[in-house]
Amino acid sequence: MSHLRDLQLRFQDYLIDGSEDIEQDIISTENAIAEHRLGTYYNAFRIRLIDCLAVDYSALEKYLGREAFENMALDYLKHFPSCHPSVRWFGENLPTYLRDIYSGKEAGFLEELARYEWAQTTVFDAADSAQLLQLEDMAAVPADAWPGLTLKFKPALLWLDLFWNVPLIEDALNSGTELPQKQREDFPRRWMLWRHELKIKWRSLEVHEAWAIEQAASGANFAAICEGLLEWIDEQQVAMVAAGFLKQWVGDQLVLNLDND
Amino acid sequence: MTQPSDKPFLGFGLGLRAEHYQDILERRPKNIDWLEVLSENYMIDGGKPLYFLDAIRQDYPMVMHGVSMSLGTTDEIDFEYLKQLKALIERIEPRWFSDHLCWTGVDHKNMHDLLPLPYTEEAINHVAERISRVQDFLGQQMLIENLSSYITYCEDAMPEWEFLAAIADKADCYLLLDVNNIYVSSYNHHYDPVEYLAGVPVDRVWQHHLAGHTNDGNLIIDTHDHDIIDPVWALYEETAKRFGPVSTMIERDGNIPELDQVLAELDQARRIAEPYYQV
Repeated sequence: MSHLRDLQLRFQDYLIDGSEDIEQDIISTENAIAEHRLGTYYNAFRIRLIDCLAVDYSALEKYLGREAFENMALDYLKHFPSCHPSVRWFGENLPTYLRDIYSGKEAGFLEELARYEWAQTTVFDAADSAQLLQLEDMAAVPADAWPGLTLKFKPALLWLDLFWNVPLIEDALNSGTELPQKQREDFPRRWMLWRHELKIKWRSLEVHEAWAIEQAASGANFAAICEGLLEWIDEQQVAMVAAGFLKQWVGDQLVLNLDND
Repeated sequence: MTQPSDKPFLGFGLGLRAEHYQDILERRPKNIDWLEVLSENYMIDGGKPLYFLDAIRQDYPMVMHGVSMSLGTTDEIDFEYLKQLKALIERIEPRWFSDHLCWTGVDHKNMHDLLPLPYTEEAINHVAERISRVQDFLGQQMLIENLSSYITYCEDAMPEWEFLAAIADKADCYLLLDVNNIYVSSYNHHYDPVEYLAGVPVDRVWQHHLAGHTNDGNLIIDTHDHDIIDPVWALYEETAKRFGPVSTMIERDGNIPELDQVLAELDQARRIAEPYYQV
Protein backbone atom coordinates (compact mmCIF):
# COMPACT_ATOMS: atom_id res chain seq x y z
CA MET A 1 0.00 0.00 0.00
CA SER A 2 1.37 3.43 -0.92
CA HIS A 3 2.12 5.98 1.73
CA LEU A 4 -0.51 8.32 0.28
CA ARG A 5 -3.18 5.64 0.32
CA ASP A 6 -2.39 4.79 3.90
CA LEU A 7 -2.81 8.46 4.85
CA GLN A 8 -6.10 8.72 2.98
CA LEU A 9 -7.48 5.61 4.67
CA ARG A 10 -6.56 7.01 8.11
CA PHE A 11 -8.26 10.32 7.27
CA GLN A 12 -11.37 8.62 5.94
CA ASP A 13 -11.62 6.30 8.96
CA TYR A 14 -11.58 9.41 11.10
CA LEU A 15 -14.39 11.00 9.11
CA ILE A 16 -16.57 7.91 9.18
CA ASP A 17 -16.10 6.64 12.72
CA GLY A 18 -13.85 9.12 14.52
CA SER A 19 -10.74 6.89 14.53
CA GLU A 20 -7.99 9.18 15.89
CA ASP A 21 -4.92 7.71 14.16
CA ILE A 22 -4.87 10.59 11.66
CA GLU A 23 -4.10 13.13 14.40
CA GLN A 24 -0.42 12.07 14.31
CA ASP A 25 -0.26 13.33 10.72
CA ILE A 26 -1.58 16.83 11.40
CA ILE A 27 0.27 19.87 12.73
CA SER A 28 -1.21 21.75 15.68
CA THR A 29 -0.80 25.51 15.92
CA GLU A 30 -1.41 28.02 18.67
CA ASN A 31 -4.79 29.08 17.36
CA ALA A 32 -6.02 25.60 16.47
CA ILE A 33 -4.80 22.20 17.59
CA ALA A 34 -4.95 19.23 15.24
CA GLU A 35 -8.12 17.90 16.85
CA HIS A 36 -9.96 21.18 16.24
CA ARG A 37 -8.67 21.44 12.68
CA LEU A 38 -9.72 17.89 11.86
CA GLY A 39 -13.03 18.49 13.59
CA THR A 40 -13.89 21.03 10.92
CA TYR A 41 -13.92 18.22 8.37
CA TYR A 42 -15.64 15.78 10.72
CA ASN A 43 -18.50 18.16 11.40
CA ALA A 44 -18.83 19.43 7.83
CA PHE A 45 -19.02 15.86 6.56
CA ARG A 46 -21.98 15.12 8.81
CA ILE A 47 -23.79 18.41 8.33
CA ARG A 48 -23.47 18.19 4.54
CA LEU A 49 -24.89 14.69 4.33
CA ILE A 50 -27.65 15.30 6.87
CA ASP A 51 -28.68 18.39 4.90
CA CYS A 52 -28.64 16.36 1.71
CA LEU A 53 -30.96 13.77 3.26
CA ALA A 54 -33.20 16.54 4.57
CA VAL A 55 -33.67 17.83 1.02
CA ASP A 56 -34.55 14.42 -0.39
CA TYR A 57 -36.65 13.46 2.63
CA SER A 58 -38.18 16.77 3.63
CA ALA A 59 -41.48 15.27 4.81
CA LEU A 60 -39.69 12.64 6.86
CA GLU A 61 -37.64 15.37 8.51
CA LYS A 62 -40.76 17.37 9.33
CA TYR A 63 -42.51 14.30 10.64
CA LEU A 64 -39.66 13.21 12.92
CA GLY A 65 -38.45 16.69 13.91
CA ARG A 66 -34.91 17.90 13.25
CA GLU A 67 -33.21 16.27 16.23
CA ALA A 68 -34.65 12.81 15.71
CA PHE A 69 -34.02 13.13 11.97
CA GLU A 70 -30.36 14.00 12.58
CA ASN A 71 -29.89 11.03 14.90
CA MET A 72 -31.48 8.75 12.35
CA ALA A 73 -29.35 10.24 9.56
CA LEU A 74 -26.11 9.78 11.52
CA ASP A 75 -26.91 6.13 12.09
CA TYR A 76 -27.81 5.74 8.41
CA LEU A 77 -24.46 7.27 7.48
CA LYS A 78 -22.65 4.61 9.50
CA HIS A 79 -24.50 1.79 7.78
CA PHE A 80 -24.64 3.22 4.26
CA PRO A 81 -21.65 5.49 3.56
CA SER A 82 -21.90 7.15 0.16
CA CYS A 83 -20.27 5.21 -2.64
CA HIS A 84 -21.47 7.29 -5.57
CA PRO A 85 -19.66 10.31 -7.08
CA SER A 86 -22.84 12.38 -6.89
CA VAL A 87 -24.39 13.18 -3.52
CA ARG A 88 -27.74 12.92 -5.31
CA TRP A 89 -27.61 9.15 -4.66
CA PHE A 90 -26.57 9.27 -1.00
CA GLY A 91 -30.14 8.80 0.26
CA GLU A 92 -30.97 5.90 -2.02
CA ASN A 93 -30.76 3.29 0.74
CA LEU A 94 -32.69 5.14 3.42
CA PRO A 95 -35.92 3.13 2.91
CA THR A 96 -33.87 -0.08 3.23
CA TYR A 97 -32.21 1.25 6.37
CA LEU A 98 -35.58 2.14 7.90
CA ARG A 99 -36.98 -1.28 7.04
CA ASP A 100 -34.04 -3.42 8.18
CA ILE A 101 -31.97 -1.50 10.72
CA TYR A 102 -33.78 1.47 12.25
CA SER A 103 -34.73 0.72 15.85
CA GLY A 104 -37.05 3.67 16.48
CA LYS A 105 -40.82 3.66 16.58
CA GLU A 106 -43.07 3.50 13.51
CA ALA A 107 -40.36 1.98 11.31
CA GLY A 108 -42.93 0.51 8.90
CA PHE A 109 -44.66 3.84 8.37
CA LEU A 110 -41.37 5.73 8.08
CA GLU A 111 -40.06 3.24 5.53
CA GLU A 112 -43.12 3.82 3.35
CA LEU A 113 -42.86 7.59 3.70
CA ALA A 114 -39.17 7.43 2.73
CA ARG A 115 -39.88 5.09 -0.17
CA TYR A 116 -42.51 7.49 -1.46
CA GLU A 117 -40.20 10.50 -1.17
CA TRP A 118 -37.39 8.67 -2.93
CA ALA A 119 -39.83 7.77 -5.72
CA GLN A 120 -40.47 11.49 -6.15
CA THR A 121 -36.73 12.09 -6.46
CA THR A 122 -36.52 9.34 -9.06
CA VAL A 123 -39.36 10.78 -11.13
CA PHE A 124 -38.00 14.33 -10.74
CA ASP A 125 -34.92 13.72 -12.86
CA ALA A 126 -35.94 10.68 -14.91
CA ALA A 127 -35.34 10.91 -18.65
CA ASP A 128 -37.48 13.32 -20.67
CA SER A 129 -39.81 12.14 -23.39
CA ALA A 130 -39.88 14.35 -26.43
CA GLN A 131 -42.89 12.74 -28.11
CA LEU A 132 -45.90 11.42 -26.21
CA LEU A 133 -48.98 9.68 -27.57
CA GLN A 134 -52.02 11.95 -27.88
CA LEU A 135 -55.71 11.08 -27.72
CA GLU A 136 -56.13 11.81 -31.43
CA ASP A 137 -53.44 9.19 -32.18
CA MET A 138 -55.65 6.63 -30.45
CA ALA A 139 -58.61 7.57 -32.59
CA ALA A 140 -56.62 6.66 -35.67
CA VAL A 141 -56.14 3.02 -34.55
CA PRO A 142 -58.31 0.72 -36.72
CA ALA A 143 -60.79 -1.45 -34.79
CA ASP A 144 -59.19 -4.73 -35.84
CA ALA A 145 -55.78 -3.59 -34.49
CA TRP A 146 -56.98 -3.09 -30.91
CA PRO A 147 -56.61 -6.68 -29.61
CA GLY A 148 -52.90 -6.72 -30.43
CA LEU A 149 -52.11 -3.24 -29.11
CA THR A 150 -49.20 -2.88 -26.70
CA LEU A 151 -48.05 0.27 -24.91
CA LYS A 152 -44.71 1.80 -24.10
CA PHE A 153 -44.72 4.08 -21.06
CA LYS A 154 -42.43 7.05 -20.50
CA PRO A 155 -39.47 6.75 -18.09
CA ALA A 156 -40.76 9.43 -15.68
CA LEU A 157 -43.46 7.12 -14.34
CA LEU A 158 -43.45 4.64 -11.50
CA TRP A 159 -45.75 3.14 -8.95
CA LEU A 160 -45.39 1.73 -5.49
CA ASP A 161 -47.61 -0.27 -3.16
CA LEU A 162 -48.21 1.26 0.27
CA PHE A 163 -50.18 0.13 3.31
CA TRP A 164 -50.15 3.62 4.82
CA ASN A 165 -51.68 6.77 3.35
CA VAL A 166 -48.23 8.35 3.11
CA PRO A 167 -48.84 10.35 -0.12
CA LEU A 168 -51.55 12.34 1.68
CA ILE A 169 -49.32 12.81 4.71
CA GLU A 170 -46.29 13.81 2.63
CA ASP A 171 -48.38 16.32 0.74
CA ALA A 172 -49.71 17.86 3.96
CA LEU A 173 -46.27 17.98 5.61
CA ASN A 174 -44.60 19.64 2.66
CA SER A 175 -47.42 22.06 1.88
CA GLY A 176 -48.04 22.97 5.51
CA THR A 177 -51.71 21.99 5.40
CA GLU A 178 -53.59 20.08 8.09
CA LEU A 179 -52.12 16.65 8.64
CA PRO A 180 -54.60 13.88 7.82
CA GLN A 181 -55.09 10.99 10.21
CA LYS A 182 -52.48 8.31 9.69
CA GLN A 183 -54.23 5.23 8.31
CA ARG A 184 -53.07 1.73 7.55
CA GLU A 185 -55.07 -0.46 5.21
CA ASP A 186 -55.23 -4.26 5.39
CA PHE A 187 -53.92 -4.55 1.85
CA PRO A 188 -51.44 -2.27 0.09
CA ARG A 189 -52.80 0.37 -2.25
CA ARG A 190 -50.94 1.19 -5.46
CA TRP A 191 -49.90 4.82 -5.96
CA MET A 192 -48.67 6.09 -9.27
CA LEU A 193 -46.24 9.01 -9.67
CA TRP A 194 -45.24 10.68 -12.87
CA ARG A 195 -43.70 13.89 -14.10
CA HIS A 196 -45.84 16.02 -16.36
CA GLU A 197 -43.59 18.63 -17.94
CA LEU A 198 -41.68 19.78 -14.83
CA LYS A 199 -44.29 18.92 -12.18
CA ILE A 200 -44.67 15.69 -10.25
CA LYS A 201 -48.22 14.29 -10.20
CA TRP A 202 -49.65 11.35 -8.31
CA ARG A 203 -52.86 9.44 -7.73
CA SER A 204 -53.98 6.15 -6.27
CA LEU A 205 -55.19 3.29 -8.45
CA GLU A 206 -58.05 0.90 -7.93
CA VAL A 207 -56.92 -2.70 -7.83
CA HIS A 208 -58.00 -3.51 -11.39
CA GLU A 209 -56.27 -0.44 -12.87
CA ALA A 210 -53.18 -1.27 -10.80
CA TRP A 211 -53.18 -4.76 -12.29
CA ALA A 212 -53.83 -3.46 -15.82
CA ILE A 213 -51.02 -0.89 -15.88
CA GLU A 214 -48.53 -3.39 -14.54
CA GLN A 215 -49.54 -5.85 -17.28
CA ALA A 216 -49.41 -3.16 -19.94
CA ALA A 217 -45.96 -2.06 -18.80
CA SER A 218 -44.70 -5.63 -19.00
CA GLY A 219 -45.86 -5.94 -22.62
CA ALA A 220 -49.31 -7.56 -22.39
CA ASN A 221 -51.54 -6.64 -25.32
CA PHE A 222 -55.01 -5.14 -25.10
CA ALA A 223 -56.75 -8.50 -25.53
CA ALA A 224 -54.74 -10.09 -22.70
CA ILE A 225 -55.48 -7.15 -20.43
CA CYS A 226 -59.21 -7.44 -21.17
CA GLU A 227 -59.09 -11.13 -20.39
CA GLY A 228 -57.38 -10.54 -17.07
CA LEU A 229 -59.79 -7.78 -16.13
CA LEU A 230 -62.65 -10.28 -16.28
CA GLU A 231 -61.75 -11.09 -12.68
CA TRP A 232 -63.27 -7.73 -11.70
CA ILE A 233 -65.40 -6.60 -14.68
CA ASP A 234 -68.37 -8.10 -16.57
CA GLU A 235 -67.59 -9.43 -20.02
CA GLN A 236 -69.91 -6.86 -21.63
CA GLN A 237 -68.09 -3.99 -19.96
CA VAL A 238 -64.51 -5.16 -20.01
CA ALA A 239 -63.34 -3.74 -23.35
CA MET A 240 -64.84 -0.36 -22.52
CA VAL A 241 -63.14 -0.30 -19.09
CA ALA A 242 -59.78 -1.30 -20.56
CA ALA A 243 -60.11 1.32 -23.31
CA GLY A 244 -61.01 3.82 -20.60
CA PHE A 245 -57.79 3.05 -18.75
CA LEU A 246 -55.81 3.48 -21.93
CA LYS A 247 -57.53 6.79 -22.63
CA GLN A 248 -56.79 7.94 -19.09
CA TRP A 249 -53.10 7.00 -19.35
CA VAL A 250 -52.77 8.76 -22.68
CA GLY A 251 -54.61 11.78 -21.30
CA ASP A 252 -52.23 11.83 -18.33
CA GLN A 253 -49.35 11.96 -20.84
CA LEU A 254 -47.89 8.64 -19.71
CA VAL A 255 -47.68 6.75 -22.99
CA LEU A 256 -44.83 7.10 -25.46
CA ASN A 257 -46.33 5.05 -28.24
CA LEU A 258 -48.56 2.16 -29.27
CA ASP A 259 -47.35 -0.93 -31.01
CA ASN A 260 -48.97 -4.12 -32.28
CA ASP A 261 -47.62 -7.50 -31.28
CA MET B 1 0.80 44.97 -15.00
CA THR B 2 0.72 41.73 -16.88
CA GLN B 3 0.38 41.84 -20.64
CA PRO B 4 -2.65 40.06 -22.03
CA SER B 5 -1.80 36.55 -23.13
CA ASP B 6 -3.70 34.32 -25.50
CA LYS B 7 -5.71 32.85 -22.66
CA PRO B 8 -9.48 33.12 -23.24
CA PHE B 9 -11.20 35.86 -21.26
CA LEU B 10 -14.95 35.41 -20.77
CA GLY B 11 -15.48 38.44 -18.53
CA PHE B 12 -17.44 38.37 -15.28
CA GLY B 13 -19.81 35.54 -14.47
CA LEU B 14 -21.83 33.74 -11.84
CA GLY B 15 -22.26 30.23 -10.58
CA LEU B 16 -25.67 29.13 -11.87
CA ARG B 17 -27.91 28.13 -8.97
CA ALA B 18 -31.46 26.72 -9.04
CA GLU B 19 -32.71 29.67 -6.97
CA HIS B 20 -31.89 31.99 -9.89
CA TYR B 21 -33.04 29.83 -12.83
CA GLN B 22 -36.32 31.61 -13.38
CA ASP B 23 -34.92 35.08 -12.84
CA ILE B 24 -32.06 34.58 -15.28
CA LEU B 25 -34.33 33.05 -17.88
CA GLU B 26 -36.88 35.85 -17.66
CA ARG B 27 -34.52 38.81 -17.36
CA ARG B 28 -31.45 37.54 -19.21
CA PRO B 29 -29.25 40.05 -17.35
CA LYS B 30 -26.71 41.65 -19.65
CA ASN B 31 -24.16 42.13 -16.88
CA ILE B 32 -23.63 38.39 -16.55
CA ASP B 33 -21.05 37.57 -19.22
CA TRP B 34 -20.98 33.83 -18.59
CA LEU B 35 -22.11 31.12 -16.18
CA GLU B 36 -20.37 28.30 -14.36
CA VAL B 37 -22.48 25.19 -13.79
CA LEU B 38 -21.86 22.45 -11.25
CA SER B 39 -21.35 19.38 -13.41
CA GLU B 40 -22.78 16.80 -11.01
CA ASN B 41 -26.10 18.66 -10.78
CA TYR B 42 -26.70 17.93 -14.44
CA MET B 43 -25.30 14.40 -14.74
CA ILE B 44 -28.86 13.08 -14.64
CA ASP B 45 -31.30 11.75 -17.21
CA GLY B 46 -33.80 14.62 -17.49
CA GLY B 47 -36.25 16.87 -15.68
CA LYS B 48 -36.11 20.38 -14.34
CA PRO B 49 -32.33 20.93 -13.93
CA LEU B 50 -31.57 19.94 -17.52
CA TYR B 51 -34.56 21.89 -18.83
CA PHE B 52 -33.24 25.11 -17.29
CA LEU B 53 -29.65 24.32 -18.21
CA ASP B 54 -30.52 23.93 -21.88
CA ALA B 55 -32.74 27.01 -21.90
CA ILE B 56 -30.19 29.27 -20.19
CA ARG B 57 -27.35 27.89 -22.29
CA GLN B 58 -29.02 29.51 -25.32
CA ASP B 59 -28.10 32.92 -23.91
CA TYR B 60 -24.84 32.50 -22.02
CA PRO B 61 -21.41 30.93 -22.53
CA MET B 62 -20.82 28.30 -19.87
CA VAL B 63 -17.98 26.51 -18.16
CA MET B 64 -18.37 23.31 -16.13
CA HIS B 65 -17.09 22.88 -12.60
CA GLY B 66 -17.03 19.51 -10.86
CA VAL B 67 -16.66 18.35 -7.27
CA SER B 68 -16.36 14.58 -7.68
CA MET B 69 -13.44 13.78 -9.97
CA SER B 70 -11.31 13.07 -6.90
CA LEU B 71 -8.07 13.66 -8.76
CA GLY B 72 -6.02 12.89 -5.67
CA THR B 73 -7.60 9.65 -4.54
CA THR B 74 -5.51 6.50 -4.58
CA ASP B 75 -8.48 4.53 -5.94
CA GLU B 76 -8.47 3.84 -9.65
CA ILE B 77 -9.86 6.52 -12.00
CA ASP B 78 -13.66 6.32 -12.23
CA PHE B 79 -14.17 6.12 -15.98
CA GLU B 80 -17.92 5.69 -15.58
CA TYR B 81 -17.98 9.16 -14.01
CA LEU B 82 -15.79 10.49 -16.80
CA LYS B 83 -18.13 9.04 -19.44
CA GLN B 84 -21.05 10.89 -17.88
CA LEU B 85 -18.97 14.05 -17.69
CA LYS B 86 -18.06 13.66 -21.33
CA ALA B 87 -21.73 13.34 -22.28
CA LEU B 88 -22.49 16.58 -20.44
CA ILE B 89 -19.55 18.30 -22.12
CA GLU B 90 -20.96 17.25 -25.48
CA ARG B 91 -24.41 18.47 -24.50
CA ILE B 92 -23.53 22.00 -23.37
CA GLU B 93 -20.18 22.58 -25.06
CA PRO B 94 -18.56 24.50 -22.22
CA ARG B 95 -15.54 26.71 -22.85
CA TRP B 96 -13.69 24.50 -20.36
CA PHE B 97 -14.23 22.23 -17.37
CA SER B 98 -12.58 22.21 -13.98
CA ASP B 99 -12.37 20.26 -10.75
CA HIS B 100 -10.44 20.51 -7.49
CA LEU B 101 -6.94 19.62 -6.44
CA CYS B 102 -8.15 17.23 -3.78
CA TRP B 103 -9.43 13.77 -3.02
CA THR B 104 -13.02 13.05 -2.01
CA GLY B 105 -12.81 9.49 -0.72
CA VAL B 106 -10.94 6.23 -0.97
CA ASP B 107 -11.76 2.54 -0.97
CA HIS B 108 -14.78 3.29 -3.19
CA LYS B 109 -16.42 5.57 -0.64
CA ASN B 110 -17.23 9.22 -1.15
CA MET B 111 -17.05 11.77 1.65
CA HIS B 112 -18.49 14.50 -0.61
CA ASP B 113 -15.87 16.88 0.71
CA LEU B 114 -12.80 18.44 -0.88
CA LEU B 115 -10.03 16.85 1.17
CA PRO B 116 -6.48 18.22 0.99
CA LEU B 117 -3.46 16.32 -0.24
CA PRO B 118 -0.03 16.38 1.39
CA TYR B 119 2.33 18.65 -0.51
CA THR B 120 4.86 15.98 -1.45
CA GLU B 121 6.62 14.74 -4.58
CA GLU B 122 4.64 11.51 -4.30
CA ALA B 123 1.36 13.45 -4.46
CA ILE B 124 2.58 15.65 -7.34
CA ASN B 125 3.48 12.61 -9.43
CA HIS B 126 0.28 10.79 -8.52
CA VAL B 127 -2.10 13.66 -9.28
CA ALA B 128 -0.31 14.91 -12.40
CA GLU B 129 -0.42 11.44 -13.91
CA ARG B 130 -4.16 11.19 -13.22
CA ILE B 131 -4.87 14.63 -14.66
CA SER B 132 -3.00 13.62 -17.82
CA ARG B 133 -5.14 10.50 -18.13
CA VAL B 134 -8.34 12.49 -17.59
CA GLN B 135 -7.29 15.03 -20.21
CA ASP B 136 -6.45 12.24 -22.64
CA PHE B 137 -9.83 10.60 -22.08
CA LEU B 138 -11.79 13.83 -22.46
CA GLY B 139 -9.64 15.15 -25.28
CA GLN B 140 -8.97 18.55 -23.78
CA GLN B 141 -7.04 20.31 -21.07
CA MET B 142 -8.74 20.99 -17.78
CA LEU B 143 -8.47 23.53 -14.97
CA ILE B 144 -7.71 22.52 -11.40
CA GLU B 145 -8.72 24.63 -8.42
CA ASN B 146 -6.87 25.36 -5.19
CA LEU B 147 -8.75 24.47 -2.00
CA SER B 148 -9.59 26.13 1.25
CA SER B 149 -7.93 23.96 3.86
CA TYR B 150 -7.96 23.63 7.63
CA ILE B 151 -5.08 21.24 8.21
CA THR B 152 -1.38 21.03 7.47
CA TYR B 153 0.14 17.57 7.13
CA CYS B 154 3.37 16.96 9.04
CA GLU B 155 4.94 15.59 5.87
CA ASP B 156 4.32 18.68 3.71
CA ALA B 157 7.55 19.39 1.86
CA MET B 158 6.67 22.67 0.14
CA PRO B 159 4.14 25.50 0.29
CA GLU B 160 0.79 25.02 -1.41
CA TRP B 161 1.57 27.33 -4.34
CA GLU B 162 4.65 25.32 -5.27
CA PHE B 163 2.58 22.15 -5.15
CA LEU B 164 -0.11 23.70 -7.36
CA ALA B 165 2.38 25.09 -9.86
CA ALA B 166 4.33 21.83 -10.05
CA ILE B 167 1.20 19.82 -10.83
CA ALA B 168 0.00 22.32 -13.46
CA ASP B 169 3.40 22.14 -15.12
CA LYS B 170 3.75 18.38 -14.98
CA ALA B 171 0.18 17.65 -16.14
CA ASP B 172 0.10 20.59 -18.56
CA CYS B 173 -3.25 21.74 -17.25
CA TYR B 174 -4.59 25.19 -16.35
CA LEU B 175 -5.54 26.71 -13.02
CA LEU B 176 -8.73 27.96 -11.51
CA LEU B 177 -7.36 30.24 -8.82
CA ASP B 178 -9.92 30.73 -6.08
CA VAL B 179 -9.08 34.05 -4.42
CA ASN B 180 -11.26 33.41 -1.39
CA ASN B 181 -9.65 30.01 -0.89
CA ILE B 182 -6.19 31.60 -0.90
CA TYR B 183 -7.38 34.10 1.70
CA VAL B 184 -9.00 31.39 3.85
CA SER B 185 -5.99 29.09 3.74
CA SER B 186 -3.53 31.93 4.36
CA TYR B 187 -5.50 32.88 7.47
CA ASN B 188 -5.75 29.29 8.66
CA HIS B 189 -2.08 28.50 8.01
CA HIS B 190 -0.51 31.87 8.69
CA TYR B 191 1.14 32.82 5.43
CA ASP B 192 1.10 35.88 3.20
CA PRO B 193 -1.53 35.44 0.46
CA VAL B 194 0.37 37.80 -1.84
CA GLU B 195 3.36 35.47 -1.63
CA TYR B 196 0.99 32.71 -2.79
CA LEU B 197 0.02 34.79 -5.84
CA ALA B 198 3.66 35.44 -6.67
CA GLY B 199 4.32 31.69 -6.74
CA VAL B 200 1.62 30.90 -9.30
CA PRO B 201 2.56 30.95 -13.01
CA VAL B 202 0.60 33.71 -14.76
CA ASP B 203 -0.10 31.93 -18.02
CA ARG B 204 -1.62 28.89 -16.33
CA VAL B 205 -4.42 30.85 -14.64
CA TRP B 206 -7.61 30.87 -16.71
CA GLN B 207 -10.29 31.46 -14.10
CA HIS B 208 -10.91 33.00 -10.69
CA HIS B 209 -13.51 32.23 -8.06
CA LEU B 210 -14.70 34.78 -5.52
CA ALA B 211 -16.86 33.90 -2.52
CA GLY B 212 -17.75 34.64 1.08
CA HIS B 213 -16.87 32.56 4.11
CA THR B 214 -17.40 32.14 7.87
CA ASN B 215 -14.87 32.93 10.59
CA ASP B 216 -15.28 30.74 13.68
CA GLY B 217 -12.69 32.73 15.64
CA ASN B 218 -9.80 30.34 15.17
CA LEU B 219 -10.31 29.14 11.65
CA ILE B 220 -12.07 30.48 8.57
CA ILE B 221 -14.44 28.02 6.96
CA ASP B 222 -15.16 28.20 3.24
CA THR B 223 -18.96 28.24 3.40
CA HIS B 224 -19.94 30.36 0.37
CA ASP B 225 -22.88 31.67 2.36
CA HIS B 226 -21.90 35.30 2.98
CA ASP B 227 -21.01 38.34 0.95
CA ILE B 228 -17.37 38.73 -0.08
CA ILE B 229 -15.41 40.59 2.61
CA ASP B 230 -13.08 43.55 2.05
CA PRO B 231 -9.77 41.68 2.58
CA VAL B 232 -10.80 39.24 -0.16
CA TRP B 233 -11.65 42.14 -2.47
CA ALA B 234 -8.21 43.61 -1.69
CA LEU B 235 -6.57 40.30 -2.52
CA TYR B 236 -8.61 40.16 -5.72
CA GLU B 237 -7.13 43.52 -6.68
CA GLU B 238 -3.64 42.09 -6.15
CA THR B 239 -4.70 39.13 -8.26
CA ALA B 240 -5.86 41.40 -11.11
CA LYS B 241 -2.53 43.26 -10.96
CA ARG B 242 -0.53 40.07 -11.32
CA PHE B 243 -2.63 37.94 -13.66
CA GLY B 244 -4.34 40.52 -15.89
CA PRO B 245 -7.63 39.64 -17.59
CA VAL B 246 -8.85 36.35 -16.10
CA SER B 247 -12.46 35.13 -16.30
CA THR B 248 -13.89 35.78 -12.86
CA MET B 249 -17.05 34.51 -11.23
CA ILE B 250 -18.83 34.56 -7.88
CA GLU B 251 -19.86 31.39 -6.06
CA ARG B 252 -22.76 31.41 -3.65
CA ASP B 253 -23.97 28.11 -2.23
CA GLY B 254 -25.77 28.90 1.00
CA ASN B 255 -28.03 31.66 2.26
CA ILE B 256 -28.50 32.51 -1.42
CA PRO B 257 -29.76 36.09 -1.88
CA GLU B 258 -31.79 37.64 -4.68
CA LEU B 259 -30.03 37.70 -8.01
CA ASP B 260 -29.60 41.49 -7.91
CA GLN B 261 -27.52 41.27 -4.75
CA VAL B 262 -25.09 38.85 -6.37
CA LEU B 263 -25.02 41.00 -9.50
CA ALA B 264 -24.04 43.98 -7.36
CA GLU B 265 -21.05 41.98 -6.11
CA LEU B 266 -20.20 41.07 -9.68
CA ASP B 267 -20.18 44.76 -10.62
CA GLN B 268 -17.81 45.36 -7.74
CA ALA B 269 -15.45 42.72 -9.16
CA ARG B 270 -15.56 44.55 -12.50
CA ARG B 271 -14.79 47.90 -10.90
CA ILE B 272 -11.81 46.43 -9.07
CA ALA B 273 -10.26 44.39 -11.88
CA GLU B 274 -10.91 46.29 -15.09
CA PRO B 275 -8.49 49.16 -14.39
CA TYR B 276 -5.71 46.55 -14.46
CA TYR B 277 -6.79 44.98 -17.73
CA GLN B 278 -5.34 46.05 -21.06
CA VAL B 279 -8.16 44.73 -23.23
